Amino acid sequence: MAYAFFPGCVSKGGCPELYPAAKIVADKLNIELVELRDVGCSGAGVLSQEVSDPVNARTLAKVEKMGMTMMTICSTCQGTFTQANHRLQSDPEYRDRINQEYLASEGLRYDGTVDIKHFLWILDEEYGLDNLKDLVVHPLEGLKVAPFYGCYLRRPPELMVPKGFEGRKTVLEKTIETLGGEVVNTSGKGKCCGFPILSSSEDNSLAMCGDHTLEAKDKGANCMVTPCPLCHLELDGKQEDAARHKKQDIDLPILHLPQMVGLALGFSPRDMGLHKHLVSTEEIVNILEGVRA
Amino acid sequence: MEITLKFYRFSPGNGSKGDFQEYPVEIDESATVLDALMQVKEDQDSTIAFRGSCRTGFCGDCTMRISRRNRMACSTTVGAAQNEGTITVEPVRLITTTKDMMYDLDTWVYDKYKAVEPWIETDQKSPDKEHVVSNKVVQDLRKVMSCTMCWLCDEGCSTMVVDRKFVGPLALTKAYRSVFDPRDNRTEARLKNLSEKNGMWDCCHCYEASEHCPKGIDPTERIFALRNKAIKANAGIPTVRNHYRSFAKSVKSHGWLDEARLAIETEGLTNIKGQLKQVPLAIKAFRKGKRPLPYFLHEKREGRDRIKRIFEKWEENE
Amino acid sequence: MPYHDVIVIGGGLAGMRAAIAAKAAGVDVGLVSKIHPLRSQSSGSHSGINAAIKSDDSWQSHAEDTIKAGAYLADQDVVEAMCQDALRDVVLLEHMGVPFSRDGDGLIDVMPFGGSSQPRTCYVGDSAGHIVLQVLYENIVRMGIATYDEWTATSLMIADGACCGVTAYDLASGKLEALSARSTVLATGGIGRLFATSTSALFATADGVGMAYRAGVPLMDMEMVQFHPTTLKGKGLVVSEAARGEGAYLVNAAGDRFMSNYSTDGDRAPELEARELCTQAIDTEIQEGRGDDGCVFLDFRHLDNDRIDDRLPETRFLVKTYLGLDITKDLVPVQPAAHRPVGGIQVDAQGATGVAGLYAAGEAACSGAHGAGRLAGNSMLDSIVFGRRAGEAAASNSRAAGKTEAPANLLAEQVEQAQGLSTRDGSSDSIGSLRRQLNQTLQSSMGVRRDGASLEQAVSAIQDLKERYQHIAVPTIGGPYNPSLPAYLELGNMLDAAHIMLTCAAARQESRGAHQRGDKPDRDDADWLQHTVAVSIPEGPQVSTKPVTITQWQPS
Ligand SMILES: Cc1cc2nc3c(=O)[nH]c(=O)nc-3n(C[C@H](O)[C@H](O)[C@H](O)COP(=O)(O)OP(=O)(O)OC[C@H]3O[C@@H](n4cnc5c(N)ncnc54)[C@H](O)[C@@H]3O)c2cc1C
Ligand code: SF4
Ligand code: SF4
Ligand code: FES
Repeated sequence: MAYAFFPGCVSKGGCPELYPAAKIVADKLNIELVELRDVGCSGAGVLSQEVSDPVNARTLAKVEKMGMTMMTICSTCQGTFTQANHRLQSDPEYRDRINQEYLASEGLRYDGTVDIKHFLWILDEEYGLDNLKDLVVHPLEGLKVAPFYGCYLRRPPELMVPKGFEGRKTVLEKTIETLGGEVVNTSGKGKCCGFPILSSSEDNSLAMCGDHTLEAKDKGANCMVTPCPLCHLELDGKQEDAARHKKQDIDLPILHLPQMVGLALGFSPRDMGLHKHLVSTEEIVNILEGVRA
Repeated sequence: MEITLKFYRFSPGNGSKGDFQEYPVEIDESATVLDALMQVKEDQDSTIAFRGSCRTGFCGDCTMRISRRNRMACSTTVGAAQNEGTITVEPVRLITTTKDMMYDLDTWVYDKYKAVEPWIETDQKSPDKEHVVSNKVVQDLRKVMSCTMCWLCDEGCSTMVVDRKFVGPLALTKAYRSVFDPRDNRTEARLKNLSEKNGMWDCCHCYEASEHCPKGIDPTERIFALRNKAIKANAGIPTVRNHYRSFAKSVKSHGWLDEARLAIETEGLTNIKGQLKQVPLAIKAFRKGKRPLPYFLHEKREGRDRIKRIFEKWEENE
Repeated sequence: MPYHDVIVIGGGLAGMRAAIAAKAAGVDVGLVSKIHPLRSQSSGSHSGINAAIKSDDSWQSHAEDTIKAGAYLADQDVVEAMCQDALRDVVLLEHMGVPFSRDGDGLIDVMPFGGSSQPRTCYVGDSAGHIVLQVLYENIVRMGIATYDEWTATSLMIADGACCGVTAYDLASGKLEALSARSTVLATGGIGRLFATSTSALFATADGVGMAYRAGVPLMDMEMVQFHPTTLKGKGLVVSEAARGEGAYLVNAAGDRFMSNYSTDGDRAPELEARELCTQAIDTEIQEGRGDDGCVFLDFRHLDNDRIDDRLPETRFLVKTYLGLDITKDLVPVQPAAHRPVGGIQVDAQGATGVAGLYAAGEAACSGAHGAGRLAGNSMLDSIVFGRRAGEAAASNSRAAGKTEAPANLLAEQVEQAQGLSTRDGSSDSIGSLRRQLNQTLQSSMGVRRDGASLEQAVSAIQDLKERYQHIAVPTIGGPYNPSLPAYLELGNMLDAAHIMLTCAAARQESRGAHQRGDKPDRDDADWLQHTVAVSIPEGPQVSTKPVTITQWQPS
């Protein structure tokens, strides 16, 4: 199994623990990652489509040449790419215009054939959760995990959860169970984490972060897992501020999806970079160690 | 069929929170929940209060939480709504009620609608001539104007949960119409108004609104379009404008996004107070081994020249 | 007591158009509506508005089509005024913001629509009513017009022979209030709820007709009620005429495409006949026993599935939602249902009634512009043109006559009557049971085909219901958001309207347009080129006739 790997900005920037964790885990699963290097940021839905579509078409053109599916490890990258790809695929005229105006000078063109999948989907739809289960050496017993998807992995539903892929609505829960953890459902698991409005409306952003983490805690979760590093920046990075905003302690560790998988596959918390989080991950380390001991 | 209608009763001023009252109803399973409510009102209890008018899903007045799902009472059949012979009818969550199922629509819907000045102002004065507009443009306007004001988008909105003062996707969809109607002559003033507190920049573009809209109007995309227009017209609020600009600048020069630079530039390089706000997090992150802050350390990556060219090309096209 | 120079009752197309016109004329306006204007029934109209705006068309041609559709019962001077005004009124709507569908040059496009001799219907995608309603409301807000949302007008206040406002029930407070006005415009819409199945919204309860009748205002052509040929069984929800346009068959219980027995035009599919003929054919099939449980069927099964999804997605969705059937596999049971009144409060071409200070417009009114049947696409036009005219006339009346104040006893009487309802002993009847009996009575006597004997019977049945109505108790009157009083009063309005309609229908001894009588099957121009005019006398409605105005189109 080989994928063109789009790591995204944050896995190397704001959440540097994510990139190595993802690489290590993929390696263990025998998934070959061919990293895309000379490509640009997806635009994260912040850049105007008028410029992000050409940048993304350029990336997809390169992937198309490689003849592989592209893998992301970020809900936001995934969403932005799926949407851009949809525009490029469904409107050949638009695609041609971008090809001519932006890509031709570099000798590139995109024909609209690339498939893009998040690591989470790949685990279920291509790798197979059963196969994953076979590799679990340290089941996450005793770990109560609240799933948190990130908006763009689920919406807009007609693109992200198309017919035949309904399993994507619950794939994170299934993955947690596969790894031996216990799922703690919250009402906010599909909602916005608050990150996108951190700069425009900080209070609302912190309120979202606080609501989600507190609800998970109230329901007994001892950690939360997300396939989106932007959600991580908010839920982990801003949790302390959110606690202040809510006038309540939170202290809920937030895991990246590959970290959670890695822990079950036997990697140490340090291998997975858990010490780099802003919210202490000590509690889950203890729980896991308690089980292992 | 014989059903039990559990209808939420609430009266203001009597101090209690409201409770379900049960009404037995004999009704055909192909009848709608709205029919069932009308039947109760006419035959059993003329004081129960709810709204609804058109009976077929286009007036947007009968939004309710029916057997635990937000939907239109007139477009939900008794057969589909009943669960072992019981149908519960209660208010949707984010909006307050004044009695039973009567929502305080003035506060939560109509006042927000009015705040975006949802009409158009034109220069055309000749009483015999219509504006010349392409059908493609009016088609798009019609799509947004097919909104029934059912406020299911507001009800699903992520931001509304934490801040009910947010103007919300319903009103912003109306605003889209005014801003993108080529006949209107107040675009700039409108974008400015929309950038005020509780305005369009509070939307976290979570696509919840689009998912909840029964009419396929895609409010989230409408909000994106409004913001992009505001950025171009230089009308956004400063921190956001800086955020967008800096984002673009970072990608343009590095090919990749530089979050540290983003944080600094978003607050504005001369905004000392804003900058200081970032410091504690930055120090903590640094200690934890996260990326150090100064943006000049950002590694330049391969391909950046090409990406820069795309940006330049785009800017030329503008 | 609140006072406005002009008060408009009704927030549909006609009412809002009137309010905007009056405000634009410089007077102070209040808009009263028992449901929020944006939720009015006008939003259900899909197709569009007739106006001869294209250079190869003429208002005369529009007028001729209108007069023919009305079976020569229309007052031709009024028709001329409407068709001439249509040109500017449609453009004015465009200026206000209506995004009419455009032709290749970016100008307002027109489409063909039932009964018009050429394409003349200005459309707004498939949601003309909804969008025009939105735009009018936007302008109400923009102009700062005072609105009384969810206020139900309960009676006209008449003093010294002039209307000086209305009493109205404010749902939020649960109080009756007097709203004084020099000029009052009634634009309360239709009568659909009188019928067991109708295409109307829930609150089309003939309030304007009832209030006017009780105040002694004459009503015209009340026997004329149009039916829509294809509505979902038992629901009255319109299956768009586009269905037949796309090739759906009409079949009876035996599976026969019966329209070919009625069709007069051999060249096109028999299902494409004009609306009136389809309605009558379907009714005949059902009456003569070839229907199934009061219905015939629309058959889509021979149509291509992709085409159905492309062209008729709304129809497919409608049938699925309300009947649980799939039009690609199942026969769809349909039946004619009451669609809209053609008669109403008698007004002149300016919307003025015989009572000083009282105007009416829209479905509530009858100016004589439609005669015995409305041309498809003329109803919205009527609301827009005559709404504006009524608003303008009301404004100039207010300006000329100055302020007025209604005598306080008028409200006091209403309040006393309302309180009386709660002290009644009560009876075994409920609002619902009486309404259902009213519905039954009208459904069987005022349907597509009528006859003298059953009309007479129905009149006495209604008299009986009216008597029983006086004994229903309404235990709690008033208090915040208590809808009991308006529900009771609505039933009263419906009973009055039914009484008038049946009496007029019994009086008109011929068949013409929307009024088809089995016992009088022919049109009778010698005796009945006449409007019926009903007024209230103590015994009930008294019917007289009024000659039709003919200008240049002789009946043929
Ligand atoms: C399904 C359907 C399809 C149609 N299609 C077409 C078409 O394609 N073309 C066309 O030309 N016409 C069409 N029509 C007809 C057209 O829509 C109507 O004739 C027109 O909209 C009537 O407008 P109105 O203002 O008179 O009434 P409405 O829109 O019914 O408004 C009545 C108003 O009066 C208020 N009201 C009533 N009673 C009271 C009271 N007691 N106190 C206070 N307020 C009161 C109500 O709240 C409401 O706001 C269609 C109608 C229906 C039902
Ligand atoms: S996209 Fe914006 S407006 Fe829509 S639900 Fe999300 S936050 Fe609310
Ligand atoms: S945009 Fe959609 S969901 Fe929102 S009010 Fe309008 S119709 Fe309802
Ligand atoms: S009654 Fe109009 S949408 Fe339900």
